[in-house]
Amino acid sequence: MTDRLGWAALAIAAALIPFFTSNTYYLYVVISVGLLTIVTAGLNVLVGFTGQTSLGHAGLYAFGAYTAALCVTRAGTSEGVAIAAAVVVTSMVGAAVAAAALRVSGPYLAMVTIAFGLIVEGVLIEWGSLTGGPGGIFNIPKPGLRTHYWTVMLTAALALWLTANLRRSAWGRACLAVKSSEVAAESLGLSAYYVRIAAFTVSAAFAGAAGALFTFLNGYISPDSFTLQTSILFLLALLFGGLGRIAGPVAGSVALTILPELLTRLLDYRLILYGSLLLLSIYWLPEGVVGAVSRARRSRPASLEFSLSPVGRGQGEGSEPLLVASEVNLSFGGVMALAGVTLAVNRQRIHAVIGPNGAGKTSLLNVLSGFYAPGRGTIMLDGQSIAGVPPYAVARRGIARTFQTAQVFGDLSVRDNVAVGVAGPRLGSPLSALLATPGSRAREAALQSRALVLLHALGLAELTDEPADSLAAGLRRKLEIARALATEPLLLMLDEPAAGLSPAEIAALDAQLTTLRGRGGPAVILVEHHMDLVMAVSDRITVLDYGRVIAEGGPAEIRQNPAVIEAYLGVTT
Amino acid sequence: MYGLVALGYHITWATSRTMNFSQGHAVMVGAVVAYAVFVGLGWPFPLALVLTLVALAGFGALVERVAVRPFFLRASPAWLLATIAVGIIAENVAQLTFGKDARAFPSPLMRKPIILGSAGFYPQELLVPVVGLLLMGLVQLFYHRTAYGKQLKAVAWNPEAAGLMGINIPRAVMASYALSALLAGVAGVLLAPLLNVSPQMGTIIGLKAFAVAIIGGLSSAPGIVVAGLGYGLVESFTAGYVSTRAREIVGFGLVILVLVVRPWGLLGEKPSRRV
Repeated sequence: MTDRLGWAALAIAAALIPFFTSNTYYLYVVISVGLLTIVTAGLNVLVGFTGQTSLGHAGLYAFGAYTAALCVTRAGTSEGVAIAAAVVVTSMVGAAVAAAALRVSGPYLAMVTIAFGLIVEGVLIEWGSLTGGPGGIFNIPKPGLRTHYWTVMLTAALALWLTANLRRSAWGRACLAVKSSEVAAESLGLSAYYVRIAAFTVSAAFAGAAGALFTFLNGYISPDSFTLQTSILFLLALLFGGLGRIAGPVAGSVALTILPELLTRLLDYRLILYGSLLLLSIYWLPEGVVGAVSRARRSRPASLEFSLSPVGRGQGEGSEPLLVASEVNLSFGGVMALAGVTLAVNRQRIHAVIGPNGAGKTSLLNVLSGFYAPGRGTIMLDGQSIAGVPPYAVARRGIARTFQTAQVFGDLSVRDNVAVGVAGPRLGSPLSALLATPGSRAREAALQSRALVLLHALGLAELTDEPADSLAAGLRRKLEIARALATEPLLLMLDEPAAGLSPAEIAALDAQLTTLRGRGGPAVILVEHHMDLVMAVSDRITVLDYGRVIAEGGPAEIRQNPAVIEAYLGVTT
Repeated sequence: MYGLVALGYHITWATSRTMNFSQGHAVMVGAVVAYAVFVGLGWPFPLALVLTLVALAGFGALVERVAVRPFFLRASPAWLLATIAVGIIAENVAQLTFGKDARAFPSPLMRKPIILGSAGFYPQELLVPVVGLLLMGLVQLFYHRTAYGKQLKAVAWNPEAAGLMGINIPRAVMASYALSALLAGVAGVLLAPLLNVSPQMGTIIGLKAFAVAIIGGLSSAPGIVVAGLGYGLVESFTAGYVSTRAREIVGFGLVILVLVVRPWGLLGEKPSRRV
C-alpha cells in the first residue's frame, strides 16, 4: 500500500510542477530527470534484472536521437511518428548488437558495448552528410516546453509501469534466473542467450525513446551528448538509485540530474564527485538508495486449499527404455572421465548411479543434460538423439536435473523459483509481458497456482515468499527438486540429493521418491553415496569406476557383486 | 605500444580474474608524475624514472585496496565500475593539480628523426616496441619460472586451494596490481614524449589497450603483444589511407569482429565451462 501512495505522491508532484512555476529552467531540469529515468528504467532490465553490464547505451540513445531528428528534418514526419520510428530502429539495432555482443559476458561484454558506443560516436562525427558531423543537427522543429514536459513525464511513467509489469511476469523471473544461475536456468529449458538478447532489446527500445525525446527537448543534437561518459552516467544513476528496483531509476535520475545543477560552482570537481558517488553506491548501497530505504514487506498469499494433482506430464507408452546411452566417451585433456559408458533407464523407474569419488557420475549427468558434448557415443531420449544438444534444448525434451551444490535462484522467492520451472521456455511474447495484457495476466495466474500446488505437494508451502538464498542447505535441495519437477520432466536426474541432509530429511526424501514413482512420476537417475537410500528406492543400479561401468543390476545383485565390493562398497556385515 | 599497456590487464587478470578498467589512467598518472618530477622539479631522469615507478606501484596497490579487494570473488560487475570510478577521480585530481592543458615532454630521442626511404620516425618510437617485447619476456619468465609467479597463477585457478596452500591471496592480488600499474608507469614515461602529457590522455589509451588485450586474449601475454603490434599497424594504415577518425571506427569494429568469431581472443585459451 505504501508503495502505491509513494507512486501517487510522485505522480502528483510531477503533475503539479508546471502549475507552480513558470521558470523554464526548472521545467528543463525536471524533463532531464524524466529522460534519464526512461533510459535507466530500460538499463535496469538489462543490468538489474539480467545482470549484464552495458557501457554503450549512449550509442543507443544516439540512435534514437538521430533517427528522430532525421525523420523530422529530412522526411518531414510528425513528432509522434519520429519517436515511434526511433524506438523501432533502436530496438532493431539493439537486437543486432546483442546478438553479437552477448556471446560473451563480464569484462568482454563491457568491451563490446564500449566499442559499440565509440563506433557510433565516430560514425556520427565522420558521416557529416547525414549526421551533420561534429556540429550535429540544428533547427529541429520542437514542441513547446510545457507540452514536451507532459510527453516526457507520461513516457517516464509508462517506462516504469512497463518495467514493473515485466518484473512480475515469467519474463522477469527468467531474467533474474539467468542472472543468478545461468546453469540452472538452462537446465529448466531457458536459453540464457535468448533471454539476454530480449532484455538488451527492451533496454535499447527505452534508450531509443529517451533519445528521441531528448532531440525534441533541445531542437539540436551533436555527438558531444553521446560519449562514453554519458554511458557511465546512465549506469551510475541506476546503481545509485537501486539496481533491480523499480523505483531505483527515479531516485538515481533525480539525484544525478539535480546534484550537478546545485553544485555548478564546483564544476572542476565534477568528476571527483561522480567517481566518489559511484564508489559510495557500490560500497554501501548495493541496492541503491531505494533498496536502503525500503523495508522488507511481505504480501501474504491468499490462503486457499489446493488439491494435489499428480505430478508429471504424460509419461508416454511402451516398455522400451526411456533413455539409452551407449558407448559414451568424454575426456578432459588427456583424462578419460567417461569411457564407453552404457546406460538404459526405464520409464517411471528409479535408476541409481553409484561409484567412488571421481568415477564420472557427475560427468555422466552433465553429458546427459547437454552441458558437455560426448566425444563419442549416442544418447537417445524417447527415440530421439540428444547427444551434443545444448542444455536448454535437452531440458525442453523432458530432462530435468538438480546440481551437486544446489543452484537456487537466490534473488527470487521460493514460489518464483518454482514458477521459473513451471513456465520453462514458454515465456510468451516480451511485449505482452511489458504491457501486462489480459492474456499475460491469465497465464501468470495459472503459473502461480501451479507453483503453489507443487510447493504444497513437496511440503514447502510455509516458505512460499521467502527469498531462496535465505534457505538452509536441506531446503535448497528440496526447492531444487520442486523446481525440476515443475518442468514436468520425463526424466529427473538428482545429483547427490542426500548430501548434507539429516537422517530425518533423508527419510523424507526416501518417502518422496517412492511416492513419486507410485504416482506415475518421471523416471529418476539418482547419483548418491548414501547406500541405505540407494538400496531402498532403486529399481536398478549402475556402478561406475574410473569412467567405466563395472556392474549393473538390481540392488540385491549389486550388493553381492565382488567387483563392486572391491571398488566401492567395501565389506559389509 | 598498446601491447605494453595491455600487458597490465593480462597481469591482474591472470592472478585474480579482475582488472583495472582504468589502466589508461594509470598510464596518465605515470606520465604526469614523471613530468612533475623530471620537468617540474628538474631531477635527473633516472631518479625521476625510479620515483615514478615507485609511485605507480603504490597507485596500483591503492586501486586494488579500494576498488578490487572488497569485491574480489564476488561475481558482480562491482570491481569493474569501482576501478572506473577510481580512474575518473584520478583524472580529476590530475586536472586540478596539473591543469587541463597538454604539455610536451622533452626527450633526447625525439630530436632527430631517422629517415628510412620516404618514411621517417623518431628513435623514441622504436624504443616503445622494444621495451614492450622485453617486458613481455620478463613477465612470461616471472610467471613460468619463478615460484612467486607460479603462486600468482595458482590464485587465478583456484583461490580457495591456493589460500589453503599458504598463499596470502590479498597480498598476491595486490602485488599483481602494483606490477600492472608499474608497467603502465613505464608506458606513461615512454609515451609522454610522443603524445604530450595531459590528464585526458588516459581514457583513449586505456580503451585501445583493453581492445588489444581482448583481441590477443586476456590469458595470453604473447597474444597481447602480437595483437598490440597488429592493432598499431591497422590503425596507422587506416589513419593514412582513410582518416584519423575512421581509425577508431575500424579499430573497435575489429574488436567486435574478433569477439564474435573467437570470444576468448586470438591466442587465448578457450575457457572450459564449469558446471
